[in-house]
Amino acid sequence: METNRPVVVKRIPERLNLKQARAFCREMDPILNSDRPQIVFDCSQVKQVDAAGVEMLLQCLSHVIRRDGDLKLAALSPQMAIILEMTRTERLFEIYESSSDAVLSFSRFLPAHLKQPAVFTMPAIPQLAPPRAAASNSAEGAAPADLAA
Amino acid sequence: MDVRAIILIGGAKPEFGPEAESFAGTPLALHDVLGRPVLHRIVDRLQAQGIGAISVISEMPMPPLEGAIRNAQQALNWTTVAAGQLFRVAENAFSDHAQAGAEGVLVLRLGGYAEFEVEEFLQRHLDGRAHVTRAVDGNGAGLGLFMIASSRRNDAAYLFRHHLQQCRAASGEWVFRGYFNPLASARDLRALAVDALMQRVPLASIGEERRPGIWIAPSARVDRRARILAPAFIGAHANVRAAAVITRGSVIEHHAEIDTGTVIENATVLPYTCIGPGLDVAHAVAGGRRLLHLARNVEVEISDPRLMDTVSEHASLRALSSAASLAAYLPLQFFRGLFATSHRDQPKEFPAAAHAPSSALSAPAGFEASREASSFPASLAVARRYGDQ
Repeated sequence: METNRPVVVKRIPERLNLKQARAFCREMDPILNSDRPQIVFDCSQVKQVDAAGVEMLLQCLSHVIRRDGDLKLAALSPQMAIILEMTRTERLFEIYESSSDAVLSFSRFLPAHLKQPAVFTMPAIPQLAPPRAAASNSAEGAAPADLAA
Repeated sequence: MDVRAIILIGGAKPEFGPEAESFAGTPLALHDVLGRPVLHRIVDRLQAQGIGAISVISEMPMPPLEGAIRNAQQALNWTTVAAGQLFRVAENAFSDHAQAGAEGVLVLRLGGYAEFEVEEFLQRHLDGRAHVTRAVDGNGAGLGLFMIASSRRNDAAYLFRHHLQQCRAASGEWVFRGYFNPLASARDLRALAVDALMQRVPLASIGEERRPGIWIAPSARVDRRARILAPAFIGAHANVRAAAVITRGSVIEHHAEIDTGTVIENATVLPYTCIGPGLDVAHAVAGGRRLLHLARNVEVEISDPRLMDTVSEHASLRALSSAASLAAYLPLQFFRGLFATSHRDQPKEFPAAAHAPSSALSAPAGFEASREASSFPASLAVARRYGDQ
């Protein structure tokens, strides 16, 4: 299940306080408001981040989820990792070692139930016909709606 | 035999940098461990072994102390010197002790914390008939601990002028096999606190053992909904609020504040440090708006008072601040009721509090978020699980 939509990689500034967060968000606004945005924040340069910075990340994540997109963090600096851990927000993000790993993860995304061969075991209800997709259809590339058909 | 002591604080090797043997701008020897500074513990130990005259020479002034210890501090013969003058002043102090009739002078540089017997060290010094005897560990590394015959002023001067690194003549050695903590970094300070809590080193905590392994100073305030798991220490005037969790050998020093729902795990919170609501502080030493993460070995500065702050060291200013917040409480609630968009508070019951995101994040970041995003924090529970996770 690959996607042709672009992945935007954005480097977070060294200091992420209230002022920087505002500026960063203004800069990101067109991307955040696009259709199904795929965004990676590269946090390797971050040296100082405060609650407003974390709040900004959460707001961006919220924006992106509402537009059916995805936001991932990559290359967390130790300072950033400590603050995310301290504020209990690290569990809300997908975090990757490097930006390239994060970008690749968008194209490698594959829900677990689609990974398995489509062995559809329907309950034995006489009035329903056996699923015709079960034997012929490969799960890969098939949307959940197809499987349900 | 008249033995006197000179305790030096500072004088770390320049190659270790200005931050060596200190944390948040204060030498580690002056930081508290279970309610009492390391220096005072050493002084107590020396006095208990019959050393009455002790000179303390420091490059840094003593930080503010909790009431009961303040008197002990005033009784110390304390000299604060300018940077670079430490060993010169020590040389003068040695001469003063010698003139006052001392037969031997014990010199300690803090530096490290050692649980040693003066009697044993002195005996080794006398048996060896050396002018200077230095304590070494099992590998022969110096511990910053010397016994000097008071009649050997030239040897003492040579030693001080070489910053305790070199002796004039061949020195005697005393191999010390007891407990020694080098106190080279905040990690060592944390290790000393853990060793004390685990009773590997006999450092008495300033407090009473309310339950097995839980020491709480009489003036500490601990909310009944807070959880404290042994071993732990809560210092004098510390404040642990509702649903806070103190666990895995954590130490909350005097006048520290742990806000609602915050988890302190395997960490030391230094005096006058305020940790914000709903945070996880784990494997760390926190104080003076700095946090050293022991697992990652990274020290970060936290400038956001919502996450970490310091309370005033002066009682009058603290009282004024409390009165101001009390007076502002009702107007603030009224204002929030009228204008604030989010009323999310940290849950006050465990375990909900320990799993909620920090309420320090509830304030808006300040940028123009869209209207639909404004209700975000409460609805974030749509934590996504990915197929391949």
